[in-house]
Amino acid sequence: MEYDVIIIGGGVAGLSAALQAKRFNLNTLVIAKEIGGLLNIPNPVENYPGLGATTGMEIIKKIRQHAEKFKPEIKEETVIDCKKNGNVFAVKTENSEYHGKSIVFATGSDRRKLDVLGEKEHAGKGVSYCASCDGALFRNKTVAVAGGNDSAAKEALLLTQYAKKVYIIYRGEKIRAEPMLAGQVEKNPKIEIITNTNIRQINGKIFVDSIILDRAYKGSTEMKIDGLFVEVGHIPSSVLAAELGVKLNEAKEIMVDRESKTNVQGIFAAGDVTDSGWKQAIIAASQGSFAAFSAYKFVKTK
Amino acid sequence: MIKKQEIIVYSTPTCPFCVRAKDFLKKNKFQFKEINVAEDHEAAQFMIEKTQQMGVPVIQIGNEFVTGFDEIKLKILLGLK
Repeated sequence: MEYDVIIIGGGVAGLSAALQAKRFNLNTLVIAKEIGGLLNIPNPVENYPGLGATTGMEIIKKIRQHAEKFKPEIKEETVIDCKKNGNVFAVKTENSEYHGKSIVFATGSDRRKLDVLGEKEHAGKGVSYCASCDGALFRNKTVAVAGGNDSAAKEALLLTQYAKKVYIIYRGEKIRAEPMLAGQVEKNPKIEIITNTNIRQINGKIFVDSIILDRAYKGSTEMKIDGLFVEVGHIPSSVLAAELGVKLNEAKEIMVDRESKTNVQGIFAAGDVTDSGWKQAIIAASQGSFAAFSAYKFVKTK
Repeated sequence: MIKKQEIIVYSTPTCPFCVRAKDFLKKNKFQFKEINVAEDHEAAQFMIEKTQQMGVPVIQIGNEFVTGFDEIKLKILLGLK
């Protein structure tokens, strides 16, 4: 069995590509470790046209339901290898091997770690990568968010529902969250923003009790906190694509043109794994749609 | 044979992995009790002491505690293939 298109990844980009590919009557397979990707959290999303104020989880649910109406085949498996044999792509998972005329990489990204002393030892013991998961356990505590992007701002705002004090610690001059979010953060009386500062170390016998900063804050480089939420960006999941000769940029993102084409014939990419420049659900949806369109044109001319 | 043991899911209302853990138990037809540790501070403290960590979900199966949605560990403890 040879699919017209194999979509690797089941986040917004992958599901959007699947929906559109089926509308082009392409024999479509989606392979994803888990449907939803990084957006599958209850964090607020307010810039997806038509949906008003919603959450990542809601968007995923709606797009999944929409895509499933067109019945793409979906396998919840992990892809371990991709090869090109002649004109056919072989996509290997831990369970099986699938063949397709084209591939869409919608593999998204993984959370970047801080990579400092004490981080690994304190993961789950005060160091968290998901405020929406663990935030409620920090009621009346003092916490810090590492990072200055949209996600960091959203996490900090969410944490104010529980914690008595939330520090945002960011290496840059000014947090780079979108202006509306940044405004909410700046106005929140529980949040204090510390810029031009890096976290060097995380301390605590069992649970986190302090962090060491590379620049003194209020006279000390040691800051007493109970929890640290890490939101320092993402690492694109582009290794499999690179092995097929797909060109990456310096940030290891897949380079695509405006029609989601990569430099390799028959390989397309969409969503956070690409060099789109702005990681948003609405961008991923558009790129996914375009990837399906390009795969359709490619398969049709074969 | 699957042993009949009490299953407790310690969770928060906004935790996506808690939803997945509960879906997994439901799919495999296991009954469980759910404790919202965002509201129940005593249970939260108990969970933290028992697991020496502060992440949810925690799934208690009898006397065993599984931290996070660890499907492989859950399958072993529940006697699933």
